[in-house]
Amino acid sequence: MSNGGIRVASLDEIPEGEGIEISRDVTGTKDDIAILRDEQGTCWALNNTCTHETASLAEGWVEDGYVECPLHSSRFNLKTGEVQGLPATVNTVAHRVEVREGEVYLFPNEKP
Amino acid sequence: MSGAETRAAGRVVVVGGGIAGVATVAALRTGGYSGEVVLVEKAALPYDRPPLSKEYLAGTRDLSGIALQSPEWYADQRVELVGDTLAVGLRPWAPGRGGEVELADGGRLTADKIVLATGGRATRPHTPGSDSPRVRVLREAEDADALRALLIPGSRLLVVGAGLIGAEVASTARGIGCEVVLVDPLDPPSAAAVGREVASWLHGLHPANGVETLVTTLASLQDTGTGVAAQLAGEARSREFDAVLLSVGMRPDTELAHAAGLITDHGIVVDDRQVTSHPDVLAVGDCARPRGHRRSEHWDAAQHDARRAAATILEMEPPAPTAPWFWTDRYGHHVEGVGQMRNPDAETHVVVRGTIGEPPFSVFTLRRDGETHCVVGAVAVDDSKAARAARRMIDRAIEVDPADLAEPDTDLRALVRP
Repeated sequence: MSNGGIRVASLDEIPEGEGIEISRDVTGTKDDIAILRDEQGTCWALNNTCTHETASLAEGWVEDGYVECPLHSSRFNLKTGEVQGLPATVNTVAHRVEVREGEVYLFPNEKP
Repeated sequence: MSGAETRAAGRVVVVGGGIAGVATVAALRTGGYSGEVVLVEKAALPYDRPPLSKEYLAGTRDLSGIALQSPEWYADQRVELVGDTLAVGLRPWAPGRGGEVELADGGRLTADKIVLATGGRATRPHTPGSDSPRVRVLREAEDADALRALLIPGSRLLVVGAGLIGAEVASTARGIGCEVVLVDPLDPPSAAAVGREVASWLHGLHPANGVETLVTTLASLQDTGTGVAAQLAGEARSREFDAVLLSVGMRPDTELAHAAGLITDHGIVVDDRQVTSHPDVLAVGDCARPRGHRRSEHWDAAQHDARRAAATILEMEPPAPTAPWFWTDRYGHHVEGVGQMRNPDAETHVVVRGTIGEPPFSVFTLRRDGETHCVVGAVAVDDSKAARAARRMIDRAIEVDPADLAEPDTDLRALVRP
């Protein structure tokens, strides 16, 4: 914890192209946080709740640098949280993630 | 480069601020259009229509909550939003010269390219008695406001037509606590959209949630002063309701195009780049019909029309085609349809993933070509991954093993990955 990161998962708990949801009780953030692992194996973190309604982005489809909302298919940039495609109109928040020795550390509210 | 500089001096006027119109102006800016962009819309601020039969009707989201974009977005994107304004005339000039849009206040907007995104109107059948204020249709926010005013716990609602909108309103009205009767001549409705078996299960959700469903048509209505007496075909006596929703389809709004001499035929006829019979006028969304095809009438299709139209104006390659996709929500279930769900024939067969009626489940239609199978359509209930995988399988013409698809433990992402 000396680096300020919170250990949220082991890397092998998150299959490539999938996400997991980390409760705000753990992260201390306003929203729960989705840890999303892209097809290359890199982990990213975004606020979990789609900015359009209430869908969980951790259940979205991760591909080509974006996660697609499981309800209405708005896409969010994994690195910046920027929304691409209606119906969501508001960007989400991206957080910094680090993987060390197979463990995933989240740095809430730090830019990636 | 020279092309971009030429276009920089231009101006595009988009008529209509539904999903098609707003997505057009967004795609123009995303694509780098640097000229002026004007959006004419009859509402003050463009809003999204799918929630009108769901959260907006239920009262859990208001008009600002369903805005397609915030007011600031239009300023950021340098889109001149001309709200609260009806376009009443269209005058295309000689091909290549652009044209002019006339506004209700007498103002005129000249443009190099005009994009018609005029949408449509709810069909209002000429049923006797349907002019009562208790008899409503649903297309605009004002329609939803008027309907909601009639829906209080215990009020009696007749829904005529059990397509997506009728079914969603029945579900929302049950949530409010209304008594609902839903009539449709088809049994089951929506079989063409989701396949017969899933359609039967979906329609069965209505009685399971306290809605009375009847396979019949509406013969006549009569305002009794305190309600509406509805005579249904085949019933001996009329029934009394507090409100009636006629949800029997929409007509494309082709008036401006027709008056301007553009070719219209069940929609403003467009080519595969959204261009009408005048090269400087394009049409997108519900008002447009691609030559040789039927209109789609779905939200996502309107967005793709918009991207194609923007690419045409920008003289860029059109975006890759993608399988049609729609969603609908009823009684807490999220239903998505992708591609074409046809009844099985000599060339196609159906694969069920999970069990129909026990969400999450999904049903795929596959086409067989020799030894190979490709997905051509899918319907997924509470199964987002199946819908997203199916869309990619169709778009990328991925060969699949039907046994893999049918096995709920198969990771669908793995089947999609190159």
